[in-house]
This record gives sequence, structure tokens and C-alpha cells, in this order.
Amino acid sequence: MRAERRERRWLYLPPLVFLLLVALAPAARLLLESGARFSVLSDAYLRWRLLWSLGQAALTCVLGTLIGVPVAWVLARTAFPGRALVLRVLMLPFVMPTLVAGIGVLAVFGPHGLFGADLQDTPWLLLYGNLFYNLPLIIRGAHDGFAALPASRLAAARTLGATRLGAFWRVEWPAMLPALGASLCLVFLFCFSGFGLALLLGGVRYATVEVEIYSLVAYELNLADASALALMALTLSGVCVLIYAWFERRLAHPAPVDPLPPAPPRHWQERVALALALGALFFFGGLPLAAVAWRAASAGAAWRVLFEPDTLAALGNTARFSAMTLVLATVLGVMHAMAGRARVWMRAAAFLPYVISPVCMAFGLLLLYPGLSASLGLLIAAYTLLAYPFVAKGIGSALDRMPPTMVQAARTLGASPPRVLWRVTLPLLRPALRRGMAFAAASAVGEFAVTLFLSRPEWTTLTTLIYRHLGRPGAANLDQALVLASLLMGFALLAFLLIEWPSHARRESGG
Amino acid sequence: MLEIIDIHKRYGDRVAACGLSLTLAAGEVVALLGPSGCGKSTLLKLIAGLEAPDAGIVRFDGADLARVSPDARGFALMFQDFALFPHLDVLGNVMFGLRERRVAREEARTRACAMLAELGLDGYQARRVWTLSGGEAQRVALARALVTRPRLLLLDEPFSSLDAHLRQGLQQDFRRLLGKQGIPALLVTHDRAEAFAMADRVALLCDGRIQQCATPAALLAAPATPWVARFIGYENLLSDAVVPERAFRLGAGQAPARVEDVVPLAEGMRVRVETALGRFVLTLSAREVAACGGQLHPGGEIGVGIDRDALLRFDRG
Repeated sequence: MRAERRERRWLYLPPLVFLLLVALAPAARLLLESGARFSVLSDAYLRWRLLWSLGQAALTCVLGTLIGVPVAWVLARTAFPGRALVLRVLMLPFVMPTLVAGIGVLAVFGPHGLFGADLQDTPWLLLYGNLFYNLPLIIRGAHDGFAALPASRLAAARTLGATRLGAFWRVEWPAMLPALGASLCLVFLFCFSGFGLALLLGGVRYATVEVEIYSLVAYELNLADASALALMALTLSGVCVLIYAWFERRLAHPAPVDPLPPAPPRHWQERVALALALGALFFFGGLPLAAVAWRAASAGAAWRVLFEPDTLAALGNTARFSAMTLVLATVLGVMHAMAGRARVWMRAAAFLPYVISPVCMAFGLLLLYPGLSASLGLLIAAYTLLAYPFVAKGIGSALDRMPPTMVQAARTLGASPPRVLWRVTLPLLRPALRRGMAFAAASAVGEFAVTLFLSRPEWTTLTTLIYRHLGRPGAANLDQALVLASLLMGFALLAFLLIEWPSHARRESGG
Repeated sequence: MLEIIDIHKRYGDRVAACGLSLTLAAGEVVALLGPSGCGKSTLLKLIAGLEAPDAGIVRFDGADLARVSPDARGFALMFQDFALFPHLDVLGNVMFGLRERRVAREEARTRACAMLAELGLDGYQARRVWTLSGGEAQRVALARALVTRPRLLLLDEPFSSLDAHLRQGLQQDFRRLLGKQGIPALLVTHDRAEAFAMADRVALLCDGRIQQCATPAALLAAPATPWVARFIGYENLLSDAVVPERAFRLGAGQAPARVEDVVPLAEGMRVRVETALGRFVLTLSAREVAACGGQLHPGGEIGVGIDRDALLRFDRG
């Protein structure tokens, strides 16, 4: 027993020390630097930044709910060919680097956009980009909520005299609310602490706090105001994550139910609803990506950018950083998950990287370790911090799903502990490991904010190279950025295929 | 063969075993019967070596098992949820224990296939385990446990997740197979019909202690304590004895009893009466109902006596 406990300690010490050094200490350093000054709010300009950051996140939540809940309902209740595929592809934006999304949005509604409508310097550009990322999240959450409703409950409501609409409001909507609430918390958090999209799409007026922190640090060297803003951002994110955790706990133990099976559309109204839902999905989730592919395909001469020495060097850097990150993230993530099995606070610690936005973390790291600025170790540590929760949480929930009797059965059948690990535990965790690693790889390949903060000029990655091309004037540069973005999109697609590749060992996908 | 001597085990405030002792003879099937949460499953895990007792000895063939790890004990534990490995097919599951015991692949395959055929699962070798029905999964789990020829088979509520009609057929299959292989088995259950149908002896477990351990017939003939009597189904108890149904005498010549409640049955009636000795529940045949005239309604009066010689006295020794 005691030996087991000692074993555990070796498992949970490395992730904890890592979190302490790379997440908690920089956050504490930010707190010291800011001195918790709220006087920055008397500055009308900074006040507008903060209010707009909150406002655009809230607006995204409202718009996302108005569009997403009906779409989710149609997806949950209507059977149509390709339904399973649509539900899977729904999560594709989640692995897309912000730069691809940003360029996609610009290609649709920016200057020289697909439809000729230029929405630059309006709030709509950023909101559209936010919805690209977050509408699928809302739809997924609401869909799972609708799908977890037992058919008998709905039938009971109908036999008790509720109309179809009445049954929706009084039975389906309340049952789905916790799932929606959890997604909305994440959406608010991602929108509020997002950096890349706001930098690309916000323009001068509609950029967010994160962008402001970046420019205060990088261009104005105004560390005091930047740290005060960062502290506020941290606090708000922390509140979001707490609410999210509360919702998640309510969703933690779903009872197995017989859900209402989706039925094929019967009337023309239902067909129209289905068409509208799929149309909305494509407009928000597919159009920016399609625009990147389309514009890149017709870019012609710009494809030569792929063979420029700058590009090759950037590709090399991206590959190098991602590989190092992947190794570290996998090791730390598996340790964290194994150690976190019985410890609630250890699980909560895996959310820490969500609370600390990439910009705040990079800023804190710069303040805390000035001697290490622009060092490879610091850069990779920051990359790893952003990537490893994917592995930790994937493995963690796979461990939760694994009944303890699996290991016990193997033991009584004659397998020693190492053999159990090799023949039972690892094979059962393999799909989760593959998924977690693919997510981690996608996050490393698409990393942008931290790279901008912490890297040296000669460490340009694919994302920062795209950003550099975007910053230069002229259609040729835009085309080159599009070509590079389509390459990045290809990597993300590859990661997505690895994540979603069906695994035979999964019961859920068996049906 | 198996000897459990004065085992103690507690989890925080919950006592799972408190001075528990039990022995199993060669080839014997013993059922461990008790209410939910009385520590039945814990005892199986202690025997299998998945948990360590706080105190006490587990011995097999005279050898102390305290320092023997679960994989070296040569027992097979069949779990309530069957615990089939989802990453292996049916054949892979059945071969698992053989491969762990270093049986060559070809031989393991032959033996696993033979065991599957024995259980009527021929042709299931390549099936994925989550496509199996409850009864099929249960037989695969049994095949996986038996194919290694364990020295002892431990069964944790093996039939609880199955339908009633499926359960009876499988219980007979189990008895036949266990008898044929001569493997001693310890079966945990909360269902007394199952315990009586499957086991040579039944051990009643309550509060971490064996209350009584005897053959089903001996248990029914002489329950040791009021708790045991109630748990195996006797409804009418005096302070020192059980009143079996056959001890009641009905008729006008007996002491008067007041009818409190009646429930009609398909054949006859259940009647609750209050007598000078206490309240009893009687199950009357249709003929007895007719003999009672019109008195079988709440407030009515019938004659109820007790034959003292037919009482089953609790053995206080």
C-alpha cells in the first residue's frame, strides 16, 4: 500500500511542479506587478476595451444560442443521410488554428471578400469569426443535451396534454439547459481570452483586452497598465471556469437512457428546417475554410512561396517545436491523468491553462524569467502548458470510463501488474491517447500568441510567417498568406482525422 | 481446501468482515447469501487477493495466501458486470488467462475453442464483446474463468443482470459444468432461490459475520437465529422458535383469533390474524378458506392453534 502511494507521488509531482513554474508563478508575478490597480478603468480608452471584450463575448453567446439551439434540435430529432458525418465534422473548427480562421473570415467578408461585402472595421467581422469557432461548440452541447433526454419523458408530457411546442419548452429545453450552460461558459471564456482572431479581425476599434495587453507590452512597454488589465482578465476567466466546473459536475453522471430516435422529415416544413439548419452550419462553420481553400487554389503564382527559404525555415521550426511539445505534453498529460484519478484538485489543476490566457501567460513568463526571454526552453514550456491538458483530460476521462473490474479480472486471470498495464490498461487507453496527442499536436502547430511574445525573429513558425505576410501590403502577399494558411489547414485536417478516426474498441461508436 | 479464519476488514466506518470464518471442501459449491451491502463482494476480493484483510488468515490446501499476489493464486473471479475486455474479441478474452499462464498460442486457441463449444458458443470466436446479449456475455465470462482450470471459482452475483427466465436455464448449466469439472466454487448472491438452487451449502452473512452455514435442507429445518429465519423466508416467528406453516391448526376447536387483513391469491388466501401469541400470516388453501365460512374479512374471527411439537426451535447453543 505504502509503495503504491510512493509510486503515485512520482506521478503527480512532475505535472504539479510544471504547473507551478509555468502557470501559477507567472500569474502571481502578474499580480505583484499590477499591484491590483483598478485605476486603469478610469481611462476611457481602456474601459472601452474591457467593455467591448465582455460585450463581444456576451453577444457571441446570445447569437450562438439563437442560431445554435434550433440547429441542434433539428440535428438531434431529424434523421438524414450523412447525419453521423455532420455530427463528427462539426468539431472540425475546434482544431483549426486561429490564423486559418481569421484569414478565412477575411477571405469571405474582408476587403476583396468573396461576396464583395467589406465588413472590415465593423464588429461583425470579429463576431463572425467567434461564431465560426463557437457555434459548433454550442450546437454540440445542446445536441448532446437533447439526445440525452429519455423518449419516455417526452411521451409522458405529450400524453399529459402538452403540445409539441409546449413539450419543447417544458421538457426538452430545461433538460438541455445544463449542457448548454456548460458550453456557453466555455464560449464566453474562449471569446473573452481569444487573441489571434481579435488581432486579425478586430481592427483598431474592435480589438479586445488581450490584443491591448500585447500592444502595451510589445510596442508601448507600458507594463503597469498591461499587468493591471491581465489581472482583470485572469479574474474573469477564473470565474468562467468555476461556473463551467459547476455545470460539468451536474452533467457528470449521465444515466443511460433510451433517447428519442431521430425520424426522417415528413412534411415540407421539416425539410425546410433541415435545409436551413445545414445551411447555417455551412455558413458559419464551413464557409471560411472553403474560402481559404478556394482562394488558395486560384492563387496561381503565389504557390511559389512554399519553396522560399523563409517558408522552409518556418516549417522546420513548426515541426521542431511541435515534436518537442508533443513528447513533453504526452508524458506530463499521462502522469497528470494517472495521478488525478482519486484527487479532485488534481483534476481541477488541468483547467489552469484555460484560466490563464496565452497572452497573460506569456507576459507573466517574461516578467518572471527575464533572463530566459527568447530561450527555447521557455517557449517549449509555454507550448506544452497549452497542449498537455488535452492529453490529461482525454486520458483522465478514459480512465473514468474504464471499470475497475477490468484490471481486477486481468489480475485474477494471472496477469502481473506490468502485464495488466501492457495487455489491458494501455490498449483500452490507446484511442484516448491518440486523440489527446492529435489535439496537442494541433494546438502546437497552430500556436500563435505565445510564439509572437516569446520567440526570436529566426524562430518564425508557420503561423507567425503568415501573420508577417498579412502585415505587408499588396494582393501578392495576401495570396501568399492564403497559400500558407491552406497548408496549415491541411495539418489541422490531418490532426482531425487522427482524432475522429473510429476506434473499434469504443462501445459508444459501436452502435 | 479453502479456509478463511477470523477475517477482519473495515472501510472507514463500514464493517465488511468482523471475525468471519468459512471453509470450502473439495468440489463443493457454497453460496454466500446476504442483504445488499453486507460485505459479500468484499469477501470475494479478499479471497482473490485484490484486497488485503486487516487481520485474519486465508489458506488454500494448507498454504497461507497472505503473500501470494492475485495472479499467482490460480483462482478465477467472475464479476457482476462480467468485465469482458472490449479491445479483444470473444476468443481473445477466453485465451487471455491461458496466455498469461504461458500456454502456447496454438494450444491456448484449441482449449479456448473447446470451452466455447462446451458452453454452446461455437462460432462466436470473432464476435466483439459489446455485440453479445447478457446471457452470451455471461457464458463468455464463465468460459474465460473456467478455461484456465482454476483451483477455485469465485462468482459475484453472476445472474443478477439477467432476465428471470434466462437465469434459470443458466443456473442449471452452471451446476452441471461445475460438477463435471469438479471445481470448488464460492457464489455470492442476495437471491435466496438462487442460493438454494445452486449450492451444496449456504452461508448467511450479516454484519460482517457468518450467521449460519448449512445445506439448504438443514437451514430450512433448523434456522439458527430469528434473522436467519426471516432471511430464508419464514414469516411467523415466536421469541424462541419458528412457526412453520404446517404447525398451524385451524378450526372451531382452536383458540379464537381476530382477522386483521386478507389478500386473495390465485389459489386460496393470505390472512393476517392476531392471536394471544402474537400476529401471524397464514397462507390458506381454497379448501381451508371454504372451511372458515364467512369469517375471512377484517374483523372476522377464526380458530387458530399451534402444534408445539412442529415448532422449529432456535439453536441457542
